[in-house]
Order: sequence, then C-alpha cells, then structure tokens
Amino acid sequence: MKRLVSMTVNGEEIELAIPPYRTLLDVLRNEGRLTGTKKGCDVGDCGACTVIMDGSPVNSCLVLGIEAEGATIETIEGQHAGPDLPHLIQEKFMDHGGAQCGFCTPGIIMMTKALLKENPNPTESEVRFAIAGNICRCTGYAKIVDAVLAAAEDLRKGRTL
Amino acid sequence: MNEAAPLPKGNMGEPVARIDARLKVTGDARYPADLPVRDVAHAVLVTSPIARGRLTQLHTEAARAVPGVLDIIAAGDVDGELERPQFGNSGSTSIAPLHDRRIWHDGQIVALVVAETFEAASEAAALVRADFQAEEPSSGFGSPGIEIIPAAGASPLYPENPEAGDFDAAWATAEISIDETYSTPTQHHNPMELFSTTASWFDGDVTVNESSQNVTGWKNTLARQLKVDPEHVRVVSPYVGGAFGSRGPMTPRTAIIAHAARRLGRPVRCVVTRKQAYTTQTYRAETRHHIRMGAMKDGRIVAFRHEGWELTSRPDNYVVGGTGTTARMYGYGAVETKVSLVKADRNTPSYMRSPPETPYVYALENAMDEMAVALAMDPVEFRRVNDTMTEPIEGKPFSSRSLMECYDQAAEAFGWNRRTRGIGSMRDGDWLVGMGCATAVYPTNVAPCTARVRLTADGRIRVQSGSHEIGTGIRTVAAQMAAERLGAPFWSVEVEMGDSSLPPAPVSGGSTSTASVCSAVMKACDAIRARLFHAAVTANDGPLSGLAPADLGIADGRIVAGARVEAVANAMERMGVGEIEEYAEFAPEGSSADAIANLYKGKLEMRMGEEGAKVKYAFGAEFVEVRIHRLTRETRVSRLVGAFAAGRIMNPRTARSQLMGGMIWGVGCALHEATEMDRHSARYVNTDLQDYLVPVNADIQDVKVILVEEKDTDVNPAGVKGLGELGNVGTPAAVASAVYHATGKRIRDLPIRIEDLL
Repeated sequence: MKRLVSMTVNGEEIELAIPPYRTLLDVLRNEGRLTGTKKGCDVGDCGACTVIMDGSPVNSCLVLGIEAEGATIETIEGQHAGPDLPHLIQEKFMDHGGAQCGFCTPGIIMMTKALLKENPNPTESEVRFAIAGNICRCTGYAKIVDAVLAAAEDLRKGRTL
Repeated sequence: MNEAAPLPKGNMGEPVARIDARLKVTGDARYPADLPVRDVAHAVLVTSPIARGRLTQLHTEAARAVPGVLDIIAAGDVDGELERPQFGNSGSTSIAPLHDRRIWHDGQIVALVVAETFEAASEAAALVRADFQAEEPSSGFGSPGIEIIPAAGASPLYPENPEAGDFDAAWATAEISIDETYSTPTQHHNPMELFSTTASWFDGDVTVNESSQNVTGWKNTLARQLKVDPEHVRVVSPYVGGAFGSRGPMTPRTAIIAHAARRLGRPVRCVVTRKQAYTTQTYRAETRHHIRMGAMKDGRIVAFRHEGWELTSRPDNYVVGGTGTTARMYGYGAVETKVSLVKADRNTPSYMRSPPETPYVYALENAMDEMAVALAMDPVEFRRVNDTMTEPIEGKPFSSRSLMECYDQAAEAFGWNRRTRGIGSMRDGDWLVGMGCATAVYPTNVAPCTARVRLTADGRIRVQSGSHEIGTGIRTVAAQMAAERLGAPFWSVEVEMGDSSLPPAPVSGGSTSTASVCSAVMKACDAIRARLFHAAVTANDGPLSGLAPADLGIADGRIVAGARVEAVANAMERMGVGEIEEYAEFAPEGSSADAIANLYKGKLEMRMGEEGAKVKYAFGAEFVEVRIHRLTRETRVSRLVGAFAAGRIMNPRTARSQLMGGMIWGVGCALHEATEMDRHSARYVNTDLQDYLVPVNADIQDVKVILVEEKDTDVNPAGVKGLGELGNVGTPAAVASAVYHATGKRIRDLPIRIEDLL
C-alpha cells in the first residue's frame, strides 16, 4: 500500500506515492530521480546520504520517506550560485581538490552547508569534528577541510550560501 | 593558486583541476547504481552463516510467498547455463557458489532472491532458510586444520623466492643482529560506493553496469561464464566510487546477476549490503613475518632474511609475495627469502592498495628502525649508509632512485633535527610526543594499452581508452597529455573511459594507469602530429614547405618551426579532412608479440618493476609525529610529511591528492583498520563502518606532501612512475617508529591500539 506524501525538495513542492517502509534516501533516488545523494552503507555509518531536512543535516537512510511529509528537503541537485553556476561550496571543493572518486562528495557538501549556516566562522577543528561523520576513503581529508575553510572565508567577504 | 595546486617543478605538468570535478561536486557524476533502468528487478543475496560444510537443503516457500518475489536462484539452478568462475587473471576466486553445495567460507552466496522492489527482495531473502551439514572451520593462523604450502610455484605470479649470496655465512659475521616477528591483520577496502551489479539484455547482448577496475578483463571473463561471444558483452563503469583493488578481479556475483537477468527476461540490479561485501568481495590477506637482519657496527647491513606467511582460501593460491620488493630495497649483502601460504576456511583474498608492499615493507621498515636503535644511529643516516643504486638480487641498476633526496627534503620540512633521541624525551603537557620515519617504495609497472585520439579542425580533441576513473584523475592526466602533444588547451579535450567498447586499457591496478594510458595517448597523438607535419612540409606553397618534419613543433593550435607557423586548421584544410583520428597500440619494452592481442582477450601482461635490464621503483620518505596521552594512551597522528619522487609528474594537484590519500590510508593501517574474526566460527564480526575503523576527518591533522623532482627516461615513453600506491607504504612503519620514540614500546603487530600501549 503506497502513501501519498508531499514535501518541498530543492524549492519545488512535490507529491509522491511511496511505500511506507521506504527510506527517504531510496525515495529521493527512486521516486525522486535524484541520484546525487549516495548510498554508502544504508545504516547511518558513512554520511554519504546526508541531505538537509528542515534546516538540519540528516542521514537520509535513517529517515523514512513518510516522515518527510510537509518537510523541506535540500539535496546536492539544488545547490547553485545561479543558472549554470556552481554553489560557493562546490566551487571551493573544485578549487581545493576536495573530490577524488567523488562518491562521498555530495554528502560532505550538504554537511558543509549545514555547518556554515549554523557557524559561518568555524575553526579548523570545528570543521573536522562537524564533518567527522562523513567518511571519505580517497582524499585524506586535508583538502576537504581547506575547501570548507575557503568557503567560510568567502562568506566573510560577503558571499552567500 | 592554493595548497591543492602545487607549482610545478622540473619535469612536472600543470596542476589543472580535475576534468570531472564539476560533475562530482554537483552530484551529476553517475555511478553504476545511479543509472535509471526501465523495469528493473531488484536482487538480494542470501549468504551462509557457517564457514565450512555442505548445504543440504534450502527452504524457499516462505520467501516465495512474499508479494513481489519474482525468482529465487540457488545451487543447481545455474547448471549448464553458467560456467564456473576461475581464479586468477580477471577472476577473484574459483569458488562457484551456485554450482556447488560445498561451503568454503563464511558469508558465501547460497541463493539470490529477485523481486519487484529492493525491500521485497530483502524481506524474502531474510525468510530463506538453509540446512547445513556444518564442519569445524579453520579460521586462520594457528588454527587446527590449516594447510601450509610454499608460495614459490603455487602461483604463476610467484615463481621463486628471491635470494643472493650465502645468508648463513653472512649472518654469522654480523656484529649487531635483529631477529623479530611482525604481523598485519585482515583488512577490507571499504570503498565508499557499495558494490553493485546491474545487468540488462537486449537482443542477445548483455550490458553490465558495475564499478570495475578492468572492464575489458571482465567482459571476457563474463562472456566465458555466460557462454556467449565476448562481442555480446559490454561492461560499463564510467565513475567508480573508490576501488583500491576491490574492483580489480571480478567476483562471482556479476555473472550470477547477468544470468538472473537472462533467466527472468528483464534487467536485474543487485546492490550488495556493506555487511555482505565483507564476505562476497575480496580483502587484504593477514600476514606474518620473520625478519633477521645482521649489520656491522658502522651500520652496513650484511645479511637480510625475510620470511612471510600469508592467509589464503582452500581452493585458491592467492600470493601477496612482497619479498620481491623488500629483497631489493637496500644494499644488504646476502639475502634469503621465503613465502608460505596458510590455507584456511576463508574467502579468497586479493589485491588491496599496494598489495605486497603494505605488509612486507611494514615489516622491513620496522626492522630497519629497530636496527637503527640497536646501532645507536639516526634512522635516516642508517638508510643512507645502506642506500644503493644497484639492487642486490641480480645486481641490476635502478633506473632512478631518489630515496635519500626524499629523506632530506622531508626531514627538513618536518624539522627532524628538532627530535631529541631519548625515549619519551619529547613532551607537550600531558602528551608524549614521538617522531619516526620510514621508506615508501612501489615498483614502476606498466602494461600494454590502446587509445584512440581524434583531432577536429575546430581544435577539439577526443581521447578514448577503456581505462577507469577510480578517483585517481586518469581522465585528467590523459587529457593533459593529449593537450600537450597536440598543442591545444586542456579544456578542448574530452576523455571517454570506463567502457569495454572503447579501445582496451589494462586493469587500473599496480599503479600502471598513468604510465600505460599516457604512453598510448602519446603514441596516438604523435601519429596525428606526423600526419599534420607531413602535410605542412609537403605543401607546395605553405609557410612550412620544404622543412624537415623533425624540425616542427606544435603549440597553441599552430604548427611551428622557429618564426614560421601554420595553423593546424589550415594544414587540415589542405589535407582535405575535417578530422584526424589515430588509434595506437602501446606495448612496453619486453612485451610478448601477443601483448595487444592478449589485452583484447582480457589477459593481462603487466611488465613489473623488477623486470628488464634495470629495475624500476618509485621511492618516498615519510615522517610522522604522534602524540600519545600520558594516562589514557590515546594516540593521535599530529603531523605527517611525505616526500616522493616518481619520475614525470603529469599533474602536481592529482599527484598530491593520490599521495596524501595514500598517507591517510597508512594512518588507518597503522592505528585503525582490522577485520576481526570469531576464531571459533571463522566469521567476521565487525562488518560495518561503525566497527571496522577507518580514519575520519577528526583523526587527521597536519599533512604535507612534497613532490621531489626526478627524471627517468627508462621507465616508459611517458617517463611516469605510478604513485597511487606509493603514499600508504611507508606510513605504518613510520607511525610504529614514532610510537616507539614516544613510549619505548615496540609494536610489531598492526594495528597499534590503546591496549598495546597501556
């Protein structure tokens, strides 16, 4: 038995018929056709499925789709600085080599956005602990931290998230 | 410019950003399980809860009753349809889970459930019950029932144990000796992307979307198993969410899913849970080492003996075999080595980032540090005394070896001279500070490779080669090579990879890709240059008429000879063509006459670093500072500095990325990673990312990578030494050395955990 659920995804209100047992991650990837959000473990260990739900970062594999009824969801696909312009955080990840294989990257960018919304002026240590739940197996992390700090610096210069 | 993009030194290319960076940061890079497939059915594996015995009966009634279940495939259902998998070359194991009822290891596949949804398939898989005739398993080292055999000759990849001189006689003359044992644990790659297979048939042709490091090898392996001509099989893997060796050899699941799709008459996708990947994919074999090293008081090593034992499965003789490298590392004098395989009731291990070097060089470098202490020598100076430009086994020269240059540059950047020698002599409040170092080394392997390059009159370039973007940046460096050889801007190049319908490239393993692909791209580009140059010099009235082709160059879209230039587009117009396309086959020096034909058949002919008139290795030096809490013994790696020399650096940005990522892998190997086993049941217990520890962001602090200038024209036409597997080799021993310096505890068994330091 499917249930009709409405949510706002990347600024667009959508209505989806989804099975009540399906995770938000699978709903986004299947019914939502938004495969930028990745499945790295499906049990909340790796952070690859991070999306922003009502302003807070969540592991979308630990949320049921039906729990998102009425919620506002932000995913990687909704991040732009303008038409055909990457988002500030994406730009910094490109500049600083924050993506290697790229699989953990969407989740880390969403976690970074949530961090910088809450704390636009983080220390290096705050960055490291804020995204400690997002595992990356390729980069060695330093480049990710550099990218986040560079984004924060641009925020201080007046750019916006 | 920022730290991510180091300024190029001599023999280095530009630090351009990745060609696919934007796709990756926007979520637009499509990994195989992201691909929308119409009418796809979902498959879930059922795996064995016992490690040894026989499947006697499978009860599937309850599972079949779950709404949406389409098919259940179990032992016997593939007979006559599917050939058994083979071990070696492109296959990970000969264990044929649905052909046999014998259980060889924990978590072996016993059935596949296919349903309309992933959830229905998962529910049904949980309802499949199996009866087993269980036997007592041997879990590994020290278990009753294991079989120990010599590695030499057990695998074609390990013909003999390297040795030189009379070890016993030399050992007897040594003034100082080390005689110790070391060990490394089972480790799993845990790439971030889950393992998955999606198979779709259309009109007798099958397309398999699966992350792979070897699409051509898999195409051929899969065709044999499916009993179809390879021309009917296509393996597609445009982006790979991390691999580290785990996607090198094909595992039995791939053919099972392709068979399920054929049997069902609709596409089937199987995304394997992380837990099940621990037993249905491969892993790094647990190893043990016994090292004897004898030296004179002046620091010269006169005798070296390295004996290794490695775990493997009952049916397959996978050999790690790192003595080929450790035996050649220093100017030892006499060398004796031996490797044995320990066969237990386990799945078959396989390649994992620097497969031989990680465990074997860890043992050697730990022994080197112990010897330096025994000699009361600085560990850097001890290595300097034993540095050599001639390897001791066959007396062949190194094509280049910048080991001490790496040590000197890294030591200076690290501040090695601030280290005080006494154990526990450096403190920072409640933290004991330790400093250590070790050598990183990786052979420069290279393999046959093909590529097709097309230059269009408007200046755009397309490069095609069936290599694999596994996070290394291979698309980026291939584009740089084409741009450089054809005098075009980087942005004008597009690169197609990750598809078995492209000109074949070797497995993206053994750090061969940049050397092999760039050598092939270079050759294709040079053929295009030759055609352009010929047109330019043979023209009746062109600006370059009558010149010798050898005097021409190409830059900024123009053919150039001193002050005389002609636009490439003009030359092409005169040739009457809109595009020039060249296909090139690159076979490394010493390859067999069949090297390219074999590449097309998926048979790998890698030329290894120790082969040929000169031996070829990349070297590095890694320095580590650890801080160990005085009371809790919490251990933090506060600083890492690595200096590496690897011939021509195509792109300092991607090179730094690879080396830095490797160094952090080394931290994981030193302090975190181990797959634990319940020795009674021979089952893995920490099969998720909560309990299998890997470094997270909060574990890492200051990391510095130094690229040391080096030129080597012997290695391959591109002059490139692979470095994807270099960075992680030295770190574990450097950490162990630093831990010893801080605490006086010599930890010989990885990983180093708090309990070892209490």
